[in-house]
Amino acid sequence: MAVQESAAQLSMTLKVQEYPTLKVPYETLNKRFRAAQKNIDRETSHVTMVVAELEKTLSGCPAVDSVVSLLDGVVEKLSVLKRKAVESIQAEDESAKLCKRRIEHLKEHSSDQPAAASVWKRKRMDRMMVEHLLRCGYYNTAVKLARQSGIEDLVNIEMFLTAKEVEESLERRETATCLAWCHDNKSRLRKMKSCLEFSLRIQEFIELIRQNKRLDAVRVPARRSFPSTSELTVHMALERRAPSTGLEASSLASGSTGAGKTCKKALQPSRREPAGRGAPGHGHAGLPARHAHLPVQGPSGPCTVADADPAVPVRQLPTTPAGKQFCVHPHPAGWPLSHQDTCYKEDGSSKSPDCPVCSRSLNKLAQPLPMAHCANSRLVCKISGDVMNENNPPMMLPNGYVYGYNSLLSIRQDDKVVCPRTKEVFHFSQAEKVYIM
Amino acid sequence: MEQCACVERELDKVLQKFLTYGQHCERSLEELLHYVGQLRAELASAALQGTPLSATLSLVMSQCCRKIKDTVQKLASDHKDIHSSVSRVGKAIDRALSLLLRQNFDSEICGVVSDAVWDAREQQQQILQMAIVEHLYQQGMLSVAEELCQESTLNVDLDFKQPFLELNRILEALHEQDLGPALEWAVSHRQRLLELNSSLEFKLHRLHFIRLLAGGPAKQLEALSYARHFQPFARLHQREIQVMMGSLVYLRLGLEKSPYCHLLDSSHWAEICETFTRDACSLLGLSVESPLSVSFASGCVALPVLMNIKAVIEQRQCTGVWNHKDELPIEIELGMKCWYHSVFACPILRQQTSDSNPPIKLICGHVISRDALNKLINGGKLKCPYCPMEQNPADGKRIIF
Repeated sequence: MAVQESAAQLSMTLKVQEYPTLKVPYETLNKRFRAAQKNIDRETSHVTMVVAELEKTLSGCPAVDSVVSLLDGVVEKLSVLKRKAVESIQAEDESAKLCKRRIEHLKEHSSDQPAAASVWKRKRMDRMMVEHLLRCGYYNTAVKLARQSGIEDLVNIEMFLTAKEVEESLERRETATCLAWCHDNKSRLRKMKSCLEFSLRIQEFIELIRQNKRLDAVRVPARRSFPSTSELTVHMALERRAPSTGLEASSLASGSTGAGKTCKKALQPSRREPAGRGAPGHGHAGLPARHAHLPVQGPSGPCTVADADPAVPVRQLPTTPAGKQFCVHPHPAGWPLSHQDTCYKEDGSSKSPDCPVCSRSLNKLAQPLPMAHCANSRLVCKISGDVMNENNPPMMLPNGYVYGYNSLLSIRQDDKVVCPRTKEVFHFSQAEKVYIM
Repeated sequence: MEQCACVERELDKVLQKFLTYGQHCERSLEELLHYVGQLRAELASAALQGTPLSATLSLVMSQCCRKIKDTVQKLASDHKDIHSSVSRVGKAIDRALSLLLRQNFDSEICGVVSDAVWDAREQQQQILQMAIVEHLYQQGMLSVAEELCQESTLNVDLDFKQPFLELNRILEALHEQDLGPALEWAVSHRQRLLELNSSLEFKLHRLHFIRLLAGGPAKQLEALSYARHFQPFARLHQREIQVMMGSLVYLRLGLEKSPYCHLLDSSHWAEICETFTRDACSLLGLSVESPLSVSFASGCVALPVLMNIKAVIEQRQCTGVWNHKDELPIEIELGMKCWYHSVFACPILRQQTSDSNPPIKLICGHVISRDALNKLINGGKLKCPYCPMEQNPADGKRIIF
């Protein structure tokens, strides 16, 4: 690999980049643990209930038949408990094993064999690319790439696919899938104080009104999905359109044709958009980026004001996650390092085929970026690409061009040298040594 | 990495706990079911006989109920106990890998980069996808590249793809130890390969010859006639040809037992793939490693450094130091292989030279930048800062690296 990374540099990079790699399976593990606990608790309470009933009948003088049938009930509940417990534990185990696999992969970065280390770096690049592609919405490519590089375990594809489904259903103007997702991730959303479910309920309400199912609309449990009244008022303040759901509900439900401009606006299809953007902002990744909305840049709709705040989304993925990091890495961070004036000379004469910034696409991308900082000179011979230092001293030809001594030796023919850049012919002895401090 | 080891330890503990709990849960529930089943059988037989519930059975039943209740409640609470281990894993991960203020992860990374980068984002995305497609082609992942082109509706013209397709075809053949396509290619590009001082063609012939040798005495005649291919390389690779000819002596014995067994090394195949890739890329004017992977790797190195320095700058509250526009505030070591262009930093002004401020060579051979030269002019004369040689400022010659 061209770029040498020392062990210390590698572990620093790990700290910056690999947090989502481990955190996401951990969050899944946590979620599954909680679900397992709930299942076990629920089934346990069922069993306890049935057993209590049995005990009650036993205290009186029961007929044997009723005892037998109650016992059957107990057996049934116990079997259900067993089955659910086994399933839940399996799911938890799976998540934990996934965590372990990722950790083992991360450990390989510091392996002693250079071949293993470069394989690791290759995989890292592929991993970041997959994450970036997922955030750009190119799901098929990402899946293909992951499969081909054998990194399916190491990237969070399922998460994005789930999000994609939710997004697509929102685009079809259905709230059901998204509501189910919100229910799934209830605790995290609540921690983030997210208004997503509330907005969804409002949208559901509006859709039902639009379809003239007013009675159903009134039954939409808007209050319940909102954490507290204070936040309700905050949200209402953010709502530039409707002063209060109460007003909307009553005016629309009563079928008043004199519905104000505000209510009409609420029925506009564009109301869908903020909800759509909201979902991704919560779920994960650069889907905000996909909708041309970066949380960093600020909100573009009332709902997204709230969404912009929680930068710690549900699954602990940075909102403009590693994908942006992927953009950040090659973009600003990497290129300034090789970014020199010479890469941008107009006649293209000083392009080097190895330099990444000189390559076609990266050249354009790197243009607005700052240059690399060099406090000490480093000279590279244009002919051979070797370093020019005391072992290969730089020599200046009479036309002002400088080459390494060894390269001049290699292109010398009959005591003459031809300058590769200007094609002028000089005598070998005309080359003067140049002293660089 | 010790932090990773810590996370791993916690994970192992959790896995162990899940295992034991799972086994325990299954076992105890099985026992319970078995016991209840037995009781039920007894009761059923009692029901058949029409006898009422006896006191002992009743007692046994209530004991059974108590046992059931206790067991299942213990199961539930045991599971809850595992929670602490699970959350310990989470804490270990946070300790190991999180940056300060994880909530600001986004802004931390963005803060490293100036805002100008995110303007014209759509256009940038296009160019970035293009770069990714190029990278994929170079890595040989043709189907993935095709898929990306389709999904992102990028049009990649055939001229661009063609050389990669061919390269890939030849490399695949080489991986299967088929030298044919590679030889064809080398012969057709012979002139340009010679200009590059590449010995690819010779190496290919050599490998073929060695393979014939490995075939044993039966192939002797074939090997000899193939050796005629070496003739154009006689001048440059004399020694190697001699070695190969010498190995013919041991053909009957078998090369593995001869002093020439090193010729049969399988690493030659890996080497030839590498040589081919390198030479083919130079011919095409490409770098061996795709530009995207080099910049990505350098970004990986740079990002933590830049974030660190940003944190330090903010801590010391001297934000003016880093103006995002011109230069990075700190030098980042990438290794000598990444020195693609010459960079001359004037030793006096400690700044890089540029077209507007080029390096000038003084008569004594020392090089300084033009601005430094102008600063040193004293009454129409110039004294070199490194050796006490006086000279005329006009005598300085502009050099180009």
